[in-house]
Amino acid sequence: MKMPLIYLVLTTGLFLSIFPYLWMVLSSFKVSGEIFTRFWPSKLTLSNYAFILQGGTGQERNFVGSIVNSLIITIIPTISVVFFGMLTAYALRRLKVRGYRYFENIIIYQMLFPGVLFLIPLFLMMRDWGMINNYSGMILRYLIDPWAIFIYIQFFKTIPESLLEAARIDGASEIKIITRIMLPLSKTTTAIVILFTFMARWGEFLWPLIVNKNYDKMPLSVLLALFTKGEYKTYPGVQMAGATLLTLPIVVLFLVFRRYFEEGISFTGLKG
Amino acid sequence: MRNNLVGRKRATQKNLVGYLFCSPFIFFTLVMWIYPFLWGIIISFKKWNLISPRQTWVWFNNYLGVLKDPLLWLMVRNSIYFMVVFITLTTITSLGLALLIKQIPKKYAGFYITGFLLSYVSSGVAYSMVFNLLFAGDGLVNNFLKTVGLKVDWFINPRIAMASIALIVCWKFTGYYGLFFLAGLNNINPTLYEAAVIDGANAWQRFIKITVPLLNATFVMIIVFATITSFNLFTEPYMITNGGPMNATRTMMLEIYHRVFALLQAGYGSALAVVSAIITFAFVWGFRKLIERDDLYDA
Repeated sequence: MKMPLIYLVLTTGLFLSIFPYLWMVLSSFKVSGEIFTRFWPSKLTLSNYAFILQGGTGQERNFVGSIVNSLIITIIPTISVVFFGMLTAYALRRLKVRGYRYFENIIIYQMLFPGVLFLIPLFLMMRDWGMINNYSGMILRYLIDPWAIFIYIQFFKTIPESLLEAARIDGASEIKIITRIMLPLSKTTTAIVILFTFMARWGEFLWPLIVNKNYDKMPLSVLLALFTKGEYKTYPGVQMAGATLLTLPIVVLFLVFRRYFEEGISFTGLKG
Repeated sequence: MRNNLVGRKRATQKNLVGYLFCSPFIFFTLVMWIYPFLWGIIISFKKWNLISPRQTWVWFNNYLGVLKDPLLWLMVRNSIYFMVVFITLTTITSLGLALLIKQIPKKYAGFYITGFLLSYVSSGVAYSMVFNLLFAGDGLVNNFLKTVGLKVDWFINPRIAMASIALIVCWKFTGYYGLFFLAGLNNINPTLYEAAVIDGANAWQRFIKITVPLLNATFVMIIVFATITSFNLFTEPYMITNGGPMNATRTMMLEIYHRVFALLQAGYGSALAVVSAIITFAFVWGFRKLIERDDLYDA
């Protein structure tokens, strides 16, 4: 194919790919009359954001609080997934505990297992443990992710044992080896784990919808969804302001980490 | 002798530390995987409203109920419809994207990849809201189509509602799957193409005889991902159509959610979850049997 044609097709595709974002952001600054009738707004307004951040007229729903909730149920699992991912992968792949191959097989089964089977019993467990309507119910099941262990294992395979032996001869403890040697070496892997885990937890919908009915604890995704289907049905501008707030953090994170994303995809590849 | 002893002591110590490091994972697996998995199976054989202490064993009655419900087959049909449209569309768009990006200089490729990946990072709730408005009856897309005398009831017409959802999910995944195809393309040895050119193969022949077979692993992976996505569809239909119009976008996930958390039928919902998992597995297995090749062109 001719080069100019390739660029034309790619740029058209890129435009289609970005267009919904563009329209979303523009609409969030439009007055409601212009959302369906004009592409470029004739004047910009912040009223949609004001409306949503002040909790709507008379709704008293705390969207600022929901952003904080989203951050809580995103950041805690992200840190925990990285920590336990490294710890477990190190024990299996570098210390090679007895039976490590069985453990690795279990991890692969866990990754491929259909999540739908766990939904109901996990909900019942959270309920019986009194974790409904609070953060722990939304967080607990995501503290360890077999996928993260798997990709740390893939990476740890590539580190030469002589490096670790040298550290051990110098008297370094295993924990020290993890924090001083493995952590700095696995920057790309860690960036991928952070990015995917953050994305998955920030955008999570079904699970927090089920285990939390308390408006004050709701993450942004759930609160926004319920309001879009309910009171905000006829407020497209407010909806788009909310969607922008929901999209922005992951887009920023992605742009910061995009280098690692492309690097890592070739060897980590397993995330549906 | 002495060395041997020291070695064994080291090994024991390593094992001890290793198990200590593994113990959170082992505990987590027992509590968050094995226990709920078994419990979920047990509930599927019971009749229980989630609240009352009375849980009656009904054995296979829930499963019979699930299999006899005409809605199940409608939901399976919906998911297959979605799957066919989604897999066809995304394979074309993402493979096309990868083939095009492969042709351009590396310094520009990064820019395009980043741009196409932006749609992948969007969260289900957010992009469902955006497309719901864009594809509305008087929305921007229809306003645009009106200029050529067309109007499409994207999410309202029961015959195309599921295809519309497949279209927006395709929007999300094109860049991401494209990246996998690109990685696959980069793994193909360029000398194969050079040899084919010498043998007089044209571009289409090279694509069919070299590119497609050697991308087999990527195809398998993407089709498996897409199949799982098809049967697990929840957020998009929940946000946009609520399973309507006339159940045309009802999925098993929506029905499980509805049965368990609205109608409090824990047993029935669990049985449906098991059936849905088995159907997903069957499709994944079938697709792999159909397309996975181990030793094509041992090169």
